[in-house]
Amino acid sequence: MKSDKTITKQRYAIRPCTVIYIALMGLTFITWMIGKAGLSGLDISLLVLALALFKGLLIGDYFMGLRYVTGFWRLPILIWIFLTGGLITWAFLIST
Amino acid sequence: MATATTQVKRNYPPGDVAIWIFIMAELAVFAIFFAAYAFARSNNVEMFNISQQTLDTNVALLNTLALITSSYFVVRAVASIREGKSELCMRWLIAAIFMGFVFLVLKSGEYVRHYGEGTNMRTNLFYMFYFSMTFFHFMHVIMGMVILAAVAVKAKQGGYSAGDHTGVETGASYWHMVDLVWLILFPLTYVMR
Repeated sequence: MKSDKTITKQRYAIRPCTVIYIALMGLTFITWMIGKAGLSGLDISLLVLALALFKGLLIGDYFMGLRYVTGFWRLPILIWIFLTGGLITWAFLIST
Repeated sequence: MATATTQVKRNYPPGDVAIWIFIMAELAVFAIFFAAYAFARSNNVEMFNISQQTLDTNVALLNTLALITSSYFVVRAVASIREGKSELCMRWLIAAIFMGFVFLVLKSGEYVRHYGEGTNMRTNLFYMFYFSMTFFHFMHVIMGMVILAAVAVKAKQGGYSAGDHTGVETGASYWHMVDLVWLILFPLTYVMR
């Protein structure tokens, strides 16, 4: 049975989605700069991956609106992000 | 100055639940692609790294910015229809579709350049993954643009309201999924080495 509960939040002059948008653009520039600088290695790769996964969490929570969802439907995007990130991390750790 | 308002905490995600089952299936396919790429790379690191350096990171940056901007426009479209502003919702959606079009043009330019250089899926394992994953995603961008266009037309016709806009949320959820996938695809294929 569908049940909703109401919570209180604050509305600010700048929409939260706009703040998240600016953050996503900034994190993307950081990733691009790492690529342009030609930085490489396991630590750099995992840092870049962590940035990407964090951006994914922001998309899920703020753009998809999952931060207002409770229960099962909160999980798929989270599981996907951590599972995908985990598999990629594993593969990079065993790279020869 | 902050003003208090209310937000409903709910048990279901925005949009039709059916689209979320579809999104989960799509994400599972992309996860397999990403893992296959990463494990294939683990035994061919040097070849992958050398091939990766032939890709244009600047174009990839522009493509990423285009998709993030497009997703932001879709968020604003959903916010507009929740306030009952159909016309504004339609305009945000058109802006989002335009940014999707920018992505397609830039990505097509990359494919043309690769074709001109004689690079294709048979060149090596890296390019097999690169072309497969990016073109699969490319097709999803087209699909997403078609969905957003259909939603925009219905919004223009007054088919949605502040109380009934599941269609807008459904289209938006799909489009954000397309963006989410690219946010992993971009660093994985262009930057991580």
